[in-house]
Amino acid sequence: MRSHTGSLALFVLLALAPRFAGAQPLPTKIDFNRDVRPILSNNCFQCHGPDEKTRKAKLRLDTPDGAATAIVAGKPDQSELVTRLTATPDDESVMPPAKTGKKLTAREVEIMKQWVKEGATFSAHWSYVKPQRPEVPKAAFPSTNPIDAFVFARLEAEKLKPSPEADRYALARRVALDLTGLPPTPEEVERFVNDKGADAYETFVDKLLAKPAFGEHWARMWLDLARYADSAGYADDPQRTIWKYRDYVIESFNANKPFDRFTIEQLAGDLLPNATTEQLVATAFHRNTMTNSEGGTSDEEFRNVAVVDRVNTTFLVWRRTSIACAQCHTHQYDPLTQKEYFQAFAFFNNTADADRPDESPTLPFWTDALIAKKTELEKQIAELEGALKGKKPEEMKPERDKLALLKKDLAAVKPLTTVPVMKELTGAQRRKTRLQFRGNFLDLGDEVAEGTPAAFHAFPKDAPRNRLEFARWLVSAENPLTARVIANRFWEQVFGTGIVRTSEEFGIQGELPSHPELLDWLATEFVAQKWDVKKFLKTLVMSSTYRQSAKVTPELVERDPENRLLARGPRVRLTAEMVRDQALFAAGLLSPKMLGPSVRPHQPNLGVNAAFGGSIDWQTSAGEDRYRRGVYTQWRRSNPYPSMSTFDAPNRDTCVVRRARTNTPLQALVTMNDPVYVEASQALARRLIEKGGKTTAEKAAFAFRACLVRAPSEAEVSRLVKLYDDAKARFAKDAAKATQFATNPLGPLPKGVDAADAAAWTVVANVIMNLDEMLMKR
Amino acid sequence: MHPAFERLQATTRRNFLGTSSVGLGGLALSSLLGDARAEGPSPDKPLAPRKPHFAGTAKRVIYLHMSGAPPHLDLLDYKPALQKHDGKNCPDEYLKGKRFAFTSGVPKLLGTRQPFKQHGKSGIWMSDAIKPLHEVADDVTVIRSMKTDEFNHAPAELLLYTGFARQGRPSFGAWTCYGLGSESENLPGFVVLISNGVQPSGGQGCWGSGFLPSVFQGVQCRSKGEPVLYLSDPPGLDRDTRRLGLDAMKDLNELQEKELGHPETRTRISQYELAFRMQLSASEVMDISKEPQKVLDSYGAKPGAGSFANNCLLARRLVEQGVRYVQLFDWGWDFHGTGPNEDIRDGLTKKGTTTAQSVAALIKDLKNRDLLKDTLVIWGGEFGRTPFREGRTAGGQILGRDHYPDVFSLMLCGGGIKAGHTHGESDELGFKVAKDLVHVHDLQATLMHCLGFDHTKLTFRFQGRDYRLTDVHGKVVKEILA
Repeated sequence: MRSHTGSLALFVLLALAPRFAGAQPLPTKIDFNRDVRPILSNNCFQCHGPDEKTRKAKLRLDTPDGAATAIVAGKPDQSELVTRLTATPDDESVMPPAKTGKKLTAREVEIMKQWVKEGATFSAHWSYVKPQRPEVPKAAFPSTNPIDAFVFARLEAEKLKPSPEADRYALARRVALDLTGLPPTPEEVERFVNDKGADAYETFVDKLLAKPAFGEHWARMWLDLARYADSAGYADDPQRTIWKYRDYVIESFNANKPFDRFTIEQLAGDLLPNATTEQLVATAFHRNTMTNSEGGTSDEEFRNVAVVDRVNTTFLVWRRTSIACAQCHTHQYDPLTQKEYFQAFAFFNNTADADRPDESPTLPFWTDALIAKKTELEKQIAELEGALKGKKPEEMKPERDKLALLKKDLAAVKPLTTVPVMKELTGAQRRKTRLQFRGNFLDLGDEVAEGTPAAFHAFPKDAPRNRLEFARWLVSAENPLTARVIANRFWEQVFGTGIVRTSEEFGIQGELPSHPELLDWLATEFVAQKWDVKKFLKTLVMSSTYRQSAKVTPELVERDPENRLLARGPRVRLTAEMVRDQALFAAGLLSPKMLGPSVRPHQPNLGVNAAFGGSIDWQTSAGEDRYRRGVYTQWRRSNPYPSMSTFDAPNRDTCVVRRARTNTPLQALVTMNDPVYVEASQALARRLIEKGGKTTAEKAAFAFRACLVRAPSEAEVSRLVKLYDDAKARFAKDAAKATQFATNPLGPLPKGVDAADAAAWTVVANVIMNLDEMLMKR
Repeated sequence: MHPAFERLQATTRRNFLGTSSVGLGGLALSSLLGDARAEGPSPDKPLAPRKPHFAGTAKRVIYLHMSGAPPHLDLLDYKPALQKHDGKNCPDEYLKGKRFAFTSGVPKLLGTRQPFKQHGKSGIWMSDAIKPLHEVADDVTVIRSMKTDEFNHAPAELLLYTGFARQGRPSFGAWTCYGLGSESENLPGFVVLISNGVQPSGGQGCWGSGFLPSVFQGVQCRSKGEPVLYLSDPPGLDRDTRRLGLDAMKDLNELQEKELGHPETRTRISQYELAFRMQLSASEVMDISKEPQKVLDSYGAKPGAGSFANNCLLARRLVEQGVRYVQLFDWGWDFHGTGPNEDIRDGLTKKGTTTAQSVAALIKDLKNRDLLKDTLVIWGGEFGRTPFREGRTAGGQILGRDHYPDVFSLMLCGGGIKAGHTHGESDELGFKVAKDLVHVHDLQATLMHCLGFDHTKLTFRFQGRDYRLTDVHGKVVKEILA
């Protein structure tokens, strides 16, 4: 174990260090994946890689056979590869050629020499090899589960120590935000803090996992991947009714649907035997592609664009491999040919949808009352038609009029809602898939059949080649990538950074994992737990690693600014939805109403129309709908909800694997000035006036705890009290301003509440809601 | 490790670039090693000015986009032969294998109805629909050999602004700010102004940051109402009381910084201070009411209007304050002939004259203020329009043209572009580029060159690939450089 940890430490050191780190010593033993492949991939594969068309001098360096012509194993001096790499810059034979602007560093050249000397062995790219359950190292520090054993072994090797456990208030807020997207209520916190039982934390976690808010929070991540939006995209961006899919995702997370089932339902629910309504709704996953209704566009062209998006999204979500390059040409780094791209394309090329403005085929939803009404009308129509049978057109005029009326009524009975779904074409309707040169749908090559890339694990021989079997192939136990990819994604959401940081790219150009064995342990654990999402997330948040304090020393910031080594707890900015939900929650405004059509909270009028489309302004929803969680906000692609967009919410034109976490002045303007946040401050001010206690200090502390969960320090209370006093003194002199600031937009103050008092508390509440601590996990 | 890079590594990656894998580090490093510039973005100043690869001729950009695509054959590309064959069937050779948005069958050729003359000492051809521009003919370059790959608005606009016809890539403005930062500390580096109340077809993708950090995306400002979203303090809260709140926020954040030791807290404090300053400076710069009447009149601007004229004047005010990139979109250039406003006769004269007045005023104003020499000004659409009548409206009284990608015209000036120059030619009837083809990727490469960048080297690694504005294409059009 010792020696193993040693090499692991070195591995990580390299993974963490920037590519061009200066005087790094050479590794004692060359590892192809760690040391050599990145050099080849960055410098050589473009001309000497998998792509036959761009390959120069018929030399390929991505396979042992190919490289054999340029390498004499064990003999760098006789290897053309080394000769070329070490040629002087003015030598025409130098590689990479000067015009590419690429050049190996001295260290990289040494690595290549050493590699050849050691026998020039290749090994498969790490993520393409099935994960083996690694042995759990002996934990170097007190720990809770194997996660800690892996993390702490690394820390020990790095001569670092884990941080102590965070205090219970910090922990309560952190884990509640991570699991439900909302802070805990003060009562929940107190119960947890005062729980003396050994399993206090676990009890708290279990309660969070059981909350309906869990599904609403985790759906957000999935909806980014599914590019879920309430509009169809492109120039006119008309509204699209597809919220049943959003509800499917929320309910699936809440029901703790095993991830493999979740996958299969979404990719091929329609092909399951006796598919249920739920399974059909699930297939809207791939109906979230954009539909182009701009005049003069070709439906077939944009149907192809949608299928391309389905292929790319599928590979990004489940395999984290950007296959997209291979649409137009054979991949230059990863072993993916253009033919293989269109073989994958073929799986998705036979659904009935075809870039139509009506989004057909759709699945209608009927209520019992509507069905009864419909059945009754149909019955009456059938009776009348029966009576009219054989009669001449001029006979029975009144009955005929009645029939026409009934038919009109029947046509007016519309379903409650609809959702676009996947429907497989059959028989003569089925399309043939042909290779598209340069990705152009009019420039076609040979016909291709459904298939999966050869570099990945094999598609079962006898299985029919259809979407359903493709989905099963993705989540089969043989698949080396999916479990790793999904485990890494969940890890990234909870810890802030993935074990593989480039969570969108597990292919050859992606970064190496910081804790490779931990990743494999998590992947195998997830499969062993039968893809149980809640259980998996619980494993993450139960770890001591997760429970560490986020406090950090300048030395550690210097040493590990991004917390890749995990010597402290995670502290990253909340997502756009969390920022909004948290403010409404603290204010007591957040509506608990779940599911249903998307809502329109307040947004400023922009006075702008989408091109060829309607106004992008909207009428604010009435009643509690304006205070729903961010996940229910109507998502218009051409104009995503501006305050969330400022906090890095994407427009969801296409699959988003990872959101940025920026820190900008425009965000400050949102949380200080957006009427939604001003209203939340006003509401919190009224709450604290009513329930916050007697003294100014008590009230300040109440507001503080409502927002930040913990009790404020004395210094913090006195600073807030001073702010209150100063603001109150100003507002006392200007009653009109005080009333404005305390009531616009929330509405008139309750009886007996002084406007200057409420306005001053609104200032205090607004300040707390804008604190760094409020916007960050702690 | 180079100490400056170490600092960048410690600061930018975490705070500023989120979790992107190589990010600006790559750019900053190359410049650190290539030249001696040590300035880079810091979390406090993510848009700190940076030097490009080499000394560029332009420091800033004003891009005037005529959404919908202006009928270049009635404005800048004079085709006497087309007038001669007006009304005749379009020759088959031009239709074979082609797709058009709204035309099928055999359309009729359509000669311009606008009088054309040569203007200025340089003798640039312009029609009377853009009369005010005749006066600045000797300041501009007209390219008559532009080509794009797309014939629908949204994809063509995305191709023009992001180098790729689908959503998801960073826009030209975002790349510019990524490369150069911004000279203004209190204003966004990249400002978008929209006139006539309609977004361009490409939507926010035309000014998005794609996979670049979102600090580089365009910020939409308005000449009517609140200039930047959420810029104004809430009703009833005056500046002094806001200041009280910010002071308390700073003190409390500092307590927290001391307690936890996270450098991000420091960044947060500075972003709030910047927001406070931006509230003032953005309101000031967007308020044109203090401009002399003479200036307002020259542009045709009126305080409080949401017009293209106002936006042209604002563009000048913004670049004067150090904003790096200003993007205008003016709706109403889709001259299909489906209504009188879309008629290439009077409709075009009206639209052309009003807007040309503002463009000419902007060019002259920049010149007078000695800003034109290092400000790139570009005027154009996303593609051209057909030399024949549009299919749907061919039977009607109104004359219109369909979308056309194979050849179109574009005008640019300032920032190192030749003054009084015409580049390229279309063929006799205006169906193809006859000489010196300039693909939109070549235009991008050229604009990048003016800003001091080798377009093949300003890259960002995403999903394992180094992306750039010009995708895998683009060559600098040296002939139009001064």
